[in-house]
Amino acid sequence: MRVGPVPVLVVIGLGALGVLVLWWSNALAVSGFADWVTNAGRILGLLAGYGVVVLVALMARLPPLERGVGTDRLARWHAMGGRYIISLITAHALLIIWGYALTAHIGVVQEAGTLELNYPDVMMATVAAFLLLGVGIVSARAARRRLRYETWYYLHFYTYLAIALAFSHQFAVGADFVSDWPARVGWSAFYLSVAVAVLWYRVVCPLRGAARHQFRVVGLSREAPGVVSVHIGGRYLDELRAEPGQFFRWRFLIRGLWWSSNPYSLSAMPHPDVLRITVKENGDHSGAVSRLRPGTRVIAEGPYGSLAAVRTRRQVLLLAGGVGITPLRAMFAALPGDVTLVYRASDSRDVVFREELDTIARARGARVHYLIGSRAQLGGDPLSARRLQELVPSLHRHEVYLCGPAGMMEAAVAELQTAGVPRRRIHYESFEF
Amino acid sequence: MRRIFLAIGGTVAGLVVLLGFKSHGGPALAGVAAGTANSKPYGQASAAASGAAGGSSGAGSSSGVISTAGGGRLITGDVANTAYGPVQIQVLLKQNKITKVTVLEQPQSTENDIRIGDFAFPKLIQETLTAQSDRIDSVSGATYTSGGYIKSLQSVLDNGA
Repeated sequence: MRVGPVPVLVVIGLGALGVLVLWWSNALAVSGFADWVTNAGRILGLLAGYGVVVLVALMARLPPLERGVGTDRLARWHAMGGRYIISLITAHALLIIWGYALTAHIGVVQEAGTLELNYPDVMMATVAAFLLLGVGIVSARAARRRLRYETWYYLHFYTYLAIALAFSHQFAVGADFVSDWPARVGWSAFYLSVAVAVLWYRVVCPLRGAARHQFRVVGLSREAPGVVSVHIGGRYLDELRAEPGQFFRWRFLIRGLWWSSNPYSLSAMPHPDVLRITVKENGDHSGAVSRLRPGTRVIAEGPYGSLAAVRTRRQVLLLAGGVGITPLRAMFAALPGDVTLVYRASDSRDVVFREELDTIARARGARVHYLIGSRAQLGGDPLSARRLQELVPSLHRHEVYLCGPAGMMEAAVAELQTAGVPRRRIHYESFEF
Repeated sequence: MRRIFLAIGGTVAGLVVLLGFKSHGGPALAGVAAGTANSKPYGQASAAASGAAGGSSGAGSSSGVISTAGGGRLITGDVANTAYGPVQIQVLLKQNKITKVTVLEQPQSTENDIRIGDFAFPKLIQETLTAQSDRIDSVSGATYTSGGYIKSLQSVLDNGA
């Protein structure tokens, strides 16, 4: 089963509407400025309490969402929504303090103190707000670049703590819940069901999969300087129904790696007893992968990714940038039809799978074009609309799959559109999550 | 950047529309307007509160029904304990109509409790007189006090109405 982006957004929107109805049905008529401020704070608080759970649900690895919306889009929504929700929480806190201060005719500082000390569970909620604010700040783009992926990833676990800390103040002081039992029950059920989904899909399922399939590292091969392929063996792997273009989240059970799981694409057709991934050293996790030894146990979550799910055209262009070749390498071998692979790398030493790609191309009568070198060496952007059209005749009739660094993909999507490829026939997943 | 402005603008606009609708033309408006125009019930209530508080200490916290000379019934609600202290109210019913609500007991261990009571009870009483039932909303900023008030009011209506 898969659920597309539009239905998901509609459901999220309806939920938000339900939250507003809850406020509407419980609120007194708003009279006076203080009431306006307090009620604005209440509405934002309710929306934040709802939204924060939606954000977690987006990341709960729900299979219909992973397949229908796509992991990369979910991650983008999560990042965008996260910033929005943190703004809501901040505004909620400030407006409530201000509104209460106006009602009680005292200063905001004094009212803030009163709220913290005299209202039940508000102090816990304040701690939660600061935790979320902290996570939000370090997740912001600029800061993330200066942060190790692993640090960023683990900071996110504090959001679970924050949500738990903030929960009790909603019922203890939330006017919409104090005397409204059905609302309490519904709200709790919402929180609980998302918590169960997270536990189920992020903890239980991977463990069950590991027990069933007994994943282990069976071998490593060096593809290029800093690029290594890991072969992972196991039982009944055909049951996973993994397809070329999909990825798993891999957790290697050795010291220093077991506590994080990272997404890597399959770089070869999945085999009933072995899967292959190819990793470029680029961070703590991928660096340590090259030091894995055969026999290491592995927990794999997946398969995820909907890169190859949509296909309407017989002619296919695969456009790879750097290590983005990995999922396209698997698709190159598997996709039926008339396939062209364009492989962009800034240095010949970065090119991996050259022999494999040439072999596949010969075997199936497909074309491979290597575009290697800096822009200066190649006399301009080799992925410009004009150059691509020269390289791939009747480009506008192709289905295009893209994988590479974010900047390259963004530029390439624009060039492809200039070359007449409709946006709906350009497929890509970014791996920046 | 455009998204940010859209999100902020959309949220603010949505809030203004919602709150605007809630303050104009909502059915509850009439009640509140009357409440602000006629603050007499609360004036009586606070006066009665001090008087009745002494009386209620003798009678304990039990609830009871007293017939009054005017043909009404004066019903005392149960004491509802809240996190900040007990709330108890007394209701005057005339021909099964709530005509007056008196606060007998309210949280007053801190200055803040008193302040909260001072703004919450007039609203709650006005709502009760308008709704003629215990189906009233709690006052934001005074959710506990409201909860206690509603509980005590419920016991009155269970006993006497």
